Amino acid sequence: MPSTADASEARQHQLVDLLHGCAMGRQPAFQKLYQLTSPQLFAVLVRILKRRDLAEEALQDSFLNIWRNASSYTAEKGAPMTWLISICRYRALDMLRRERREVHFDPSDTESEDNVLNTLTGDSETGDLISHAEARALKHCLDGLSEGQRSSLKLAYFDGCSHEEIADTLKTPLGTIKSWVRRGLQGLKQCLEAI
Amino acid sequence: MKYDSQNLRVLLAGKYVLGLLKSRVRQRFERLAVEDARLRAEVAAWEDKFAAWTLILKPLQPPAAVWRKLQAALRADAGESRTVRLVAAWNAVWSGAALAAAAAVLVVGILVGRSLVTTTPPPTAAAPAAYLAVMAAPQGQPRWLITVHAQNRRVDMNALADNTPPPGKSYQLWMLPKSGKPVSLGLMNSTGSAHETLTPDMLAALTKAKGLAISVEPAGGSPTGEPTGPVVFTGSIINS
Repeated sequence: MPSTADASEARQHQLVDLLHGCAMGRQPAFQKLYQLTSPQLFAVLVRILKRRDLAEEALQDSFLNIWRNASSYTAEKGAPMTWLISICRYRALDMLRRERREVHFDPSDTESEDNVLNTLTGDSETGDLISHAEARALKHCLDGLSEGQRSSLKLAYFDGCSHEEIADTLKTPLGTIKSWVRRGLQGLKQCLEAI
Repeated sequence: MKYDSQNLRVLLAGKYVLGLLKSRVRQRFERLAVEDARLRAEVAAWEDKFAAWTLILKPLQPPAAVWRKLQAALRADAGESRTVRLVAAWNAVWSGAALAAAAAVLVVGILVGRSLVTTTPPPTAAAPAAYLAVMAAPQGQPRWLITVHAQNRRVDMNALADNTPPPGKSYQLWMLPKSGKPVSLGLMNSTGSAHETLTPDMLAALTKAKGLAISVEPAGGSPTGEPTGPVVFTGSIINS
């Protein structure tokens, strides 16, 4: 099925409805939500935690949280998928802090995805989970950052790297990394607000 | 660390979302965010901005064991916390509807409430004569005005619109007590007015209830004695 802005909007509404169903204690709504979103969320968790067993644990914890707290989801918390991703990412970041000594970040683990932003406007069902307009805007603004800024933000967002780990990975002094992160965030905000 | 400059707040929120704040700063940030809605909004804005980035990852089917464990956890969760969750859900609906409903009460209370109140005996000093609730969908038009007359324990339900339920369904009114499960107050009339008489216990519970809700039930009402269908209209109880 071709993916259109309408399909994406319909999907957002469906996710909101499913979250409301969860808030009312409806398990079929929860099951449907899990079917639709867990592959995308699991991918985020595997990427950040690097270990399948930890990612499975985090996914289970996160969905239990989603089920129990679905009533606290409101539109001002952002798009439904944003809310789900945030629950999973913060859970993973917590686990990463706890397991820091066991899980070593190895840059070679990360897939090669230099062209990957092309898929932001792709036509998979997963693509519909997030607004296409926002995906296009983000791609445009990320393209406008310097390589170092973009890599620093990416290592933090996707791999849960600390400033120090980013410095190690990019073989760049810590001070430079901190400045890349700061300027990257500022540049991204300015660019997204100008769109 | 200072939190007064807007640029710094935006930056801190961004670093928080990226997971780059060190533990002490992070905990301080989280404490501040609890009380600072604007800071929470900055966090939400960054979360939203970055979320689209996750589309670069190829979806990965989690093993079936995760879903099986979740189902088991849900079953363990089911019994006692279902009501708690309903309460939370309804409160969430109310928090959104409360302002609109309160505004509607002011208007409807003046237009309709007065004529209702004049038909009841004069109030005693001890208890308010009447409690009002306007039942409406979130941000929707008022659908019923509910008036509870304390003295004769009478509940009047005045339809403010044509409130015909979906085919084969009934609208059922529920009171949400301070604690415990929702209590049925009966089926709703679709037009005109109708009334019910409460037991003294129900009246006492109603005057302290968190609010009212109307759910869609099979024709004739919920078969289980608890809400089984979606809550479509809610209302807060206001002393008149």
